[in-house]
Amino acid sequence: MAGIDVAVTGLGLVTPGGIGVGPSWAAVCGGRSPAAVDPALEENTVRISCRVPDFRPDDLLGARRAYRLDRFVQFALVAAREAIDDAGLDPKTWDGARVGVVLGCADGGPGTVEEQHHVLRHSGATRVSPLLLPMQLPNMLAGQTAMEFGATGPNLVVATACASGATAIGTARDLLALDRCDVVLAGGSEAMITPLVMAGFAQMGALSKREDDPTRASRPFDADRDGFVAGEGAGVLVLERVADARARGARVRGRIVGYGASADAHHMTSPHPEGTGVEDALRSALADAGAGTGDVGHVNAHGTSTPLNDLAEARVLKRVLTSDPLVTSTKGVTGHLLGAAGAVEAAFSVLAMEQSLVPPTANLGTLDSRMEIKVADSPTVLRTDLTLSNSCGFGGQNVVLAIAAA
Amino acid sequence: MSTMLEQLKEILVSKLKVTPEQVVPEATHEELELDSLAVVELSLVLEQELGLTISDDELLDAPTIGDMVALMDERSAKV
Repeated sequence: MAGIDVAVTGLGLVTPGGIGVGPSWAAVCGGRSPAAVDPALEENTVRISCRVPDFRPDDLLGARRAYRLDRFVQFALVAAREAIDDAGLDPKTWDGARVGVVLGCADGGPGTVEEQHHVLRHSGATRVSPLLLPMQLPNMLAGQTAMEFGATGPNLVVATACASGATAIGTARDLLALDRCDVVLAGGSEAMITPLVMAGFAQMGALSKREDDPTRASRPFDADRDGFVAGEGAGVLVLERVADARARGARVRGRIVGYGASADAHHMTSPHPEGTGVEDALRSALADAGAGTGDVGHVNAHGTSTPLNDLAEARVLKRVLTSDPLVTSTKGVTGHLLGAAGAVEAAFSVLAMEQSLVPPTANLGTLDSRMEIKVADSPTVLRTDLTLSNSCGFGGQNVVLAIAAA
Repeated sequence: MSTMLEQLKEILVSKLKVTPEQVVPEATHEELELDSLAVVELSLVLEQELGLTISDDELLDAPTIGDMVALMDERSAKV
């Protein structure tokens, strides 16, 4: 929707780097991953995960509220509160009917499902919690956020697997363009590190097996990468039309100037080897932004550290972008936040432009020789006005967000 | 042996995360924010922890904590 100028006025993050934008940004710039062997995955064949450290929902949300929420909703509420505060908005006084919520996740609450399945098998159907469905349904992400903050405008959850968080931001932008609301809490959240889900990922061969060296397991674009490390967390952005934001004197931290989305229509898990779908999304995002292939200074890549994704993505970046932008994948530090990744990385893209600093791709030893792209292997000072944030989901769903400096 | 009120209070506080000070005989469902889902949970826990079979509908019909305790006393006398 060319012509719509959408401001990012608030950021909120819960990531393996820490709780809050400050700790999360410091962690990705520090370039060291907190990934570790996970005691909860004791019986799994691959046991590495990248958890949010020291997440205490009772302290953050109150015990009464927290115990009826799956972890993926808890993350989102904490991130949303930070983003709303950052935007200088007050849910007590805002016109809730003009506040929308668009969030994404890949899976909802598998932790709750697995726990209650255990109850079913061991204690019978009459012991299953009445909270099973209200806790695990994916749409509760947006529903609970609405309840927490009195946001009664358009409310939905989108699912494009690992592109969900980016799809949410693009969809929120469309809602603002159509004047469906004035403010959108947009982002993604995920808490999928459970024994069953992780067994599924492992059986697909998607996960890094580098258990002897977990902090170096997620190594996007590296010649020795062998799969992703599952992370968890949430990212929420407060979006408003730029004119509205400026009129209320809000700080504009960045702008979502383009959104491109496509499908590979190729395979249920493998990306198209030439990345044709990613290319379509990328070109759409640039066109939407009114920008050219030579205008991009920085790319926060999907860069999962899987052999197939990183190669296909690198080929697209080389083929399409003529400006030789500085590419990074913050997943080297955070692991792959799945349905939250697109939102968290959009936030990192805003921060990178705001601070003129591109975070490093952690654990990049030797760039895969087939990749002709420039990858940041250390924190790099870079001033740019246009950044792309790429996201791709299983099922072949691709989203590219074009993000401009304030 | 603790009283039935103490046992109910322990369950409401530990399982349903109700603030202890709120659990007094005259408190209503609304005051304790016990919605229909919470009452189903309470029914499950009463059976599991105390062996008392009281349906969620019966608990909903008991307007206060005191009324729930009376129901629990009555049911436990039959056990």
